[in-house]
Amino acid sequence: MQQSAPLLTITDLRVTVAGKEILTGMNLVVRAGEVHAIMGPNGSGKSTLAHVLAGRDGYTITSGSVSFRDQDLLAMEPEERARAGLFLGFQYPVEVPGVSNVYLLRAALNARRKARGEAEIDAAQFLRLVREKAKLMQMNESFLNRGVNEGFSGGEKKRNEIFQMAVLDPVLGILDETDSGLDIDALKVVANGVNSQRGPDRAFVLITHYQRLLDYIRPDFVHVLAGGQIIRTGDRSLALELEAEGYDQTVAAAKSQTQTAAR
Amino acid sequence: MNTGFSPIWRDACQRSRNAIPQLAWLKELRDSAISVLAEHGLPDLTQEEWRYTSLTDYVQRGAAYLADKVTAADTATATLTVEETVGQPHLELLDGLLQEPGSGARVLPAGVEALSLRQLSPELRARATGLLASHKTPDDTRPLAALNMALLSDGLYLRSTATADTPPPPLHLRLASSGTAMAQPRLLIELAPGSQLSLIIEHQSAAGALANAVTQIRCGAGSRLDLLRIQDLPADALLTETTHVELDRDATLSATSLDFGGQLVRQDLSVALNGAGATANINGAFVVDGHRHIDNHTTIDHRAPDTGSREMFHGLATGHGRGVFNGRIVVQPGAVRTASALNSRNLLLATTAEIDTKPELEIFTDDVRCSHGATTGELDANALFYLRTRGLGPDEARQALITAFLHATLALITPEDLGVRVAARLQSRLEALDGAAI
Repeated sequence: MQQSAPLLTITDLRVTVAGKEILTGMNLVVRAGEVHAIMGPNGSGKSTLAHVLAGRDGYTITSGSVSFRDQDLLAMEPEERARAGLFLGFQYPVEVPGVSNVYLLRAALNARRKARGEAEIDAAQFLRLVREKAKLMQMNESFLNRGVNEGFSGGEKKRNEIFQMAVLDPVLGILDETDSGLDIDALKVVANGVNSQRGPDRAFVLITHYQRLLDYIRPDFVHVLAGGQIIRTGDRSLALELEAEGYDQTVAAAKSQTQTAAR
Repeated sequence: MNTGFSPIWRDACQRSRNAIPQLAWLKELRDSAISVLAEHGLPDLTQEEWRYTSLTDYVQRGAAYLADKVTAADTATATLTVEETVGQPHLELLDGLLQEPGSGARVLPAGVEALSLRQLSPELRARATGLLASHKTPDDTRPLAALNMALLSDGLYLRSTATADTPPPPLHLRLASSGTAMAQPRLLIELAPGSQLSLIIEHQSAAGALANAVTQIRCGAGSRLDLLRIQDLPADALLTETTHVELDRDATLSATSLDFGGQLVRQDLSVALNGAGATANINGAFVVDGHRHIDNHTTIDHRAPDTGSREMFHGLATGHGRGVFNGRIVVQPGAVRTASALNSRNLLLATTAEIDTKPELEIFTDDVRCSHGATTGELDANALFYLRTRGLGPDEARQALITAFLHATLALITPEDLGVRVAARLQSRLEALDGAAI
């Protein structure tokens, strides 16, 4: 298979939070059509990676670069990243009382269209789109007019993230622990939502602690993030190995290999 | 002590006492009001209830009108053209004077009777006197209400006997000030037992106008009053307003108070739950930007068993605006099984703005459920980031959160189309906030 051009290239990324280095030289290339899983123990830097890619305040980038569709991602504002086609599915989706789902989605779509010099979305077309995607995510239409995530259960919030992603149609979806707190039925709905969006022009980065999600969304690559960098990369069998042996052993083995290689 | 109640005010009160023959029946009430003023003077910052709100400009502007010997009675020919916020009013008090309905005036909802205080029959005068002097009326203690009584030259008496199964259409009253006199609008409103009334009270004025409104309402047993009070006055208008509502057994008050404009606005709203089973829901929202000052003082007095109240005020402050909320809940001895919840939520968008909020609970009986809370904070940084990750720019994201914050109050307005119209007004108001929305 011929390799497509990279969508996302992370090169030697080092990030500190409150003086502590969390990402310690991270490298990753994600091409269109690929699904990457980034797994790692707690505190390995998984969520920091997601937040830095989305543009959250409070992180200091001390070195390295991130390019997204040949643009310097780190120089872009969060909304510019979104309009360029990046989507972050939050680990803890925020409740925004009083701002309805449809309001947010229409405003988000129109912001992107405006950035591209396009006219605002037609009302009927918009309604068709959100209805279709709500159906895909098995969401009751009453959710559309409720405040974003307002009073939603944990599972409903995660489902709503994937619903938003389906409507916004990004080229790169970064899903931060989207599987946490989901029961098996909700997990299937979420996975189905993601799978239905897979395609040659789109890529996903799944950040997860457990391999369970990967039973439903088959990744092309599995990376182990530990101590702020990717210490091992493999295919889906790596996830199964992690599941069987635990992070401690895998991380220790990878480290000793690295040290042996260094000698 | 008679701070601020200078000879100019005293003379004006004496002049007004006998100025209107049709109001001679108010003489005793006027004399008692003058005594209240002589004893207490006009409010100043040394009084606990007024520690955040200075009436210095207000008293000066009022004295200037009175020094020119301008009383409201002289200005019956004044006119005021204003933009309509919530549609054409049914009735208008201009500088306190009930205006003759022009041609094309809207017909009052069925079961509603409205009369000038100058036109009351002896029987209705007796009823009106009862309302004016009813127990714990503001006149007993409040100098501003006393000032209104001493200086008023007209007023509206309104009575509803409507008992429709379907909610009646809102009755829209406009209290307008021309800016050529100090307006003293007075409303007396009675709901017959079992009746319903939906009422909009809208303040409008010319630039620089000054008004001191008083409204007294009695809700008979089992009646229901929906009240929307709204003011979006010019940035240099001054308004004080005293409203007292009494509820008999099983009566319900659902009130929404919206303050979007004015230079200085002070509202004192007191609600007495006199009969068992009476309930009051009070919602308010205010926007203080520029150098605006808005002060809401509310008292809900639970005087009978099984009474309930819920009160929620949302305040938004930016620029050099200052918002004051003082919410007092009193549960009298014997008012057992009272349920009461009081909340004040505030958004502070600039370090130069200020919010002073104080819930006060005075509970004199056991077996009650009372809760209160007050918060003042900035926009939620997590929510802002979340909206931006979806593609909204920072200004658009802030606007969405600010609108959502205040919309919590508007969502409760009935009927819905009225809420929609008010929301549109609020939206344009928020788009023109005077002060950094940081």
